[in-house]
Amino acid sequence: MAWNTTNGKRKRPNKIWGYILVVFTTALVYILDHPLGALPALGPLLDPVHGCWANAEPASFDYNLNEDLPALTGKAIVNFDDQFVPHINATNDHDLYYIQGYLHAWFRLWQMEMQTRAAAGRISEIAGEKALPFDRKQRRKGMVYAAENSLRAAEANPVTKAMLDAYTAGVNQFIATRGKHQLPLEYKLMGFKPEPWTNLKCILLLKYMADDLSGESDDIAHSYLRTLMSEAEFNLLYPDKIPGSSPVVPAGTPFAPATISVSAPPADSSSFVPISATDFESLPQHGKGSNSWALSGSRTASGDPILCNDPHLGLNLPSLWFQVQLSAPGINVCGASLPGAPGVVIGFNDHISWGLTNNYRDVKDFYEIKPVEGDAGKYWFNGQQVPYTTRMERIAVKGKPDYVDTVQYTIHGVLLYDGRYHEKFSTRKLLAVKWMGYEASNEYMAIYKLNRAGNYDEYVDAIQHFECPAQNMIYADRQGHIAIWGQGKFPAKWRGQGKYVMQGLDSSTLWGPVIPMAENPHALDPAQGYLASANENTTDTAYPYPYTGDFVELRAWRINELLAKTAEVTVPDMQAMQGDDYSILAANVLPMMLDACKVYKGKYLDSLRAWDYQLRPYSMCGTVFQHWWKILYSSIWMDDLPNVPGETLPLAERTMQLMLTDSTLRFYDDPRTAKRETLADIIRRSYYQTSQALAEKEKKGSLDWYKVKNTGVRHLAKLDAFSYTGLETGGWGNTINAMKEDHGPSWRMVVQMGKEIEAYGIYPGGQSGNPGSKYYANYLPMWVKGQYNKLHFYPAGKAENSAAKYVWTLKPASK
Amino acid sequence: MRMPVTIIAIIVIAFIVGTITPWWSVAVVAFLVGLLAGHKPGLGFLAGFLAVGLYWLCLALYRDAANEHILAGRMAALFHLPGSYTFAGVTAIIGALVGGLAAWAGSLLSTRKR
Repeated sequence: MAWNTTNGKRKRPNKIWGYILVVFTTALVYILDHPLGALPALGPLLDPVHGCWANAEPASFDYNLNEDLPALTGKAIVNFDDQFVPHINATNDHDLYYIQGYLHAWFRLWQMEMQTRAAAGRISEIAGEKALPFDRKQRRKGMVYAAENSLRAAEANPVTKAMLDAYTAGVNQFIATRGKHQLPLEYKLMGFKPEPWTNLKCILLLKYMADDLSGESDDIAHSYLRTLMSEAEFNLLYPDKIPGSSPVVPAGTPFAPATISVSAPPADSSSFVPISATDFESLPQHGKGSNSWALSGSRTASGDPILCNDPHLGLNLPSLWFQVQLSAPGINVCGASLPGAPGVVIGFNDHISWGLTNNYRDVKDFYEIKPVEGDAGKYWFNGQQVPYTTRMERIAVKGKPDYVDTVQYTIHGVLLYDGRYHEKFSTRKLLAVKWMGYEASNEYMAIYKLNRAGNYDEYVDAIQHFECPAQNMIYADRQGHIAIWGQGKFPAKWRGQGKYVMQGLDSSTLWGPVIPMAENPHALDPAQGYLASANENTTDTAYPYPYTGDFVELRAWRINELLAKTAEVTVPDMQAMQGDDYSILAANVLPMMLDACKVYKGKYLDSLRAWDYQLRPYSMCGTVFQHWWKILYSSIWMDDLPNVPGETLPLAERTMQLMLTDSTLRFYDDPRTAKRETLADIIRRSYYQTSQALAEKEKKGSLDWYKVKNTGVRHLAKLDAFSYTGLETGGWGNTINAMKEDHGPSWRMVVQMGKEIEAYGIYPGGQSGNPGSKYYANYLPMWVKGQYNKLHFYPAGKAENSAAKYVWTLKPASK
Repeated sequence: MRMPVTIIAIIVIAFIVGTITPWWSVAVVAFLVGLLAGHKPGLGFLAGFLAVGLYWLCLALYRDAANEHILAGRMAALFHLPGSYTFAGVTAIIGALVGGLAAWAGSLLSTRKR
């Protein structure tokens, strides 16, 4: 270059260019240091020292650790077994929960933060305005209000206060030290830093579960449906108890008489508020459900009880569950814990084992509120003008000013729909919602005591503290007992209360007093030698307190059918049963569907005629039946009941019963045609539509059931690159192997309570939440195949363990 | 002869300070070394480009190999790149560009005689 030839000529233009380049380079660094639209800040992300590459955990990473932790009061040992499950040995409760918090944070910090942020409606703070509708909904639902109420209860109890304090300190110890260097990948992608953990977050996590499991209500949809049909017709389609239900507490179990008097329903006119079609759109699909069963020794080969549980929840990565064994004086428990919560939620100890399924007894009711005209701050109740209690919900929004929502509270709970808040399912009516989750409860006390329970009485004492979400709590112990409780806190309701939206004008629709816990439905060592629950109705009609709920029956029928035939059962038998793909719906209804089509020919029909009703992964028949049923079901209901959310149409099992018993139902007819269709007509028409659709589908790909169904385990931030889809699984929500698209058996456990406890478990994920770790999803292939890990359960008080793959030696930091 | 020295100097210093400084310390290091070395501007750019590029590439590949490509494979999928090596390559190029530009600027502002 010419200006390079002499010193004098070179200097000046070079300097100018130099300064320009300094500015340019600085600008480039600045741009790379900041997120660009949806793109994360690439500089810090790609930095091989601190960025995403730092999350590339070496496959041979040496997890052994010697560390001094300031809050420890004694030495503690954590042994990681060959499945990467930590077994914590501490000298006292404080150290035990402190280390559990430290461990959870080590492996699952981002997930813990996101789930509790989601519960509290605080996602906008990190994700910006797009999350505002979600956050508003969480605030409107009163999630923080609910958690604050329960936090007061938990902190008023010295035992749970100490438990939560220790756990929180453990999480914060990790954040304060290692969290800086070992920031989970997702923080780097989303560009935020962990905030300190709090006891409130532990409670928020449980409220998040409570909302997931008991936070739905059909009241509004039912009110609408009642405007479309007579009461008799409604009761035919939506019976409080489905005929032939095999309830959680076996039929015929005697119940103690009610000690709380149940009030008579008020006059019908006031007990149901009509909702018009324009009032709502649709409900989210829910696919939650769970199975549990226990066999007494009389039915097992070993003579020892066997307990099985598989809660069906959202299938996500990082996984909902984290396996752990907790050992300290007075406690030796093993099983599945929830990152963000101290203790073991489902598992077993030296004496007892327990499992959970959701109990869908209704604990959420809607009330229409009558505002005082001209005074926005008051509503009518019992002839009085009552002021609302107001709660300001301040939502921080990234890059925007805070959003403030005023939420009003009534005697009937949160005023969810007040004309200022709109969502898919909102109504124009002023509706308040009363939910058991708002009440101060202390579920951590239940977990604390359950983990230490040594016999049935201690188990019953422990679960008294479990109030919401209501759970069917199954039990088996080494003394040979099996039991189940439909446990939760329930108000005494008058018959039919809370089935529809109620008027909120006076005290006649208020919830009654709480039913004493001892009167909750339960069974101990029934003569039949087994107990089961799968979200079905809790009791037969002998139970003295009226209740309604969102119960389903198909899985329960299948489980009871199989259990009734059991003899000399082994653990592998029970594992196979958890993977049972048999569609009891198909077995009952397909013969009549095929009969209606008997004059038809075609390969789909031919295959179905020889089908064994198993929804196996590679089954074409599974795909054909499921498709056909879906179209048939819609043809029966959707034409007559437009705008009804899919989940609120009559149950598949009820539809099946009506098809088999009542050929005159007006709903078979398609009102849009001049002809009056019979059930057989509709079956044939839906088959024709199915065969057309499937032939089209087959041209594009296979009809393997697993491909069509597409079960997946998806990353919490919906990142496909960190997710697994198209898993080769059979089953559906109504088979025991309840594998839906994004819901399914989130933790499968089989425990034989003999002299030596023999336990197996598996969940769809891995212990590490780091997508860069080989432990991120290493259990997944086994889970897909229906295989289990043998759960190592080491004797209490024995910290030295030759089987340990890695050992953490944790000591109090010298002052 | 000074080129390899410059490259090695950038790598070594960036490596040492990198453990406690943010990612853009590579720019500062490349700039300062470029300033002191006083290469012709084109060579300065090349030195910075190669130094930071090689440093980041080697560190990324080392971590990728030890990790059996788990993380980089997922990150590649996230950015719709064909595989872990491409992702390591993209990492290296970003670092190289920043290093190259910074060292270039340093060379231009250098008062040292060539």
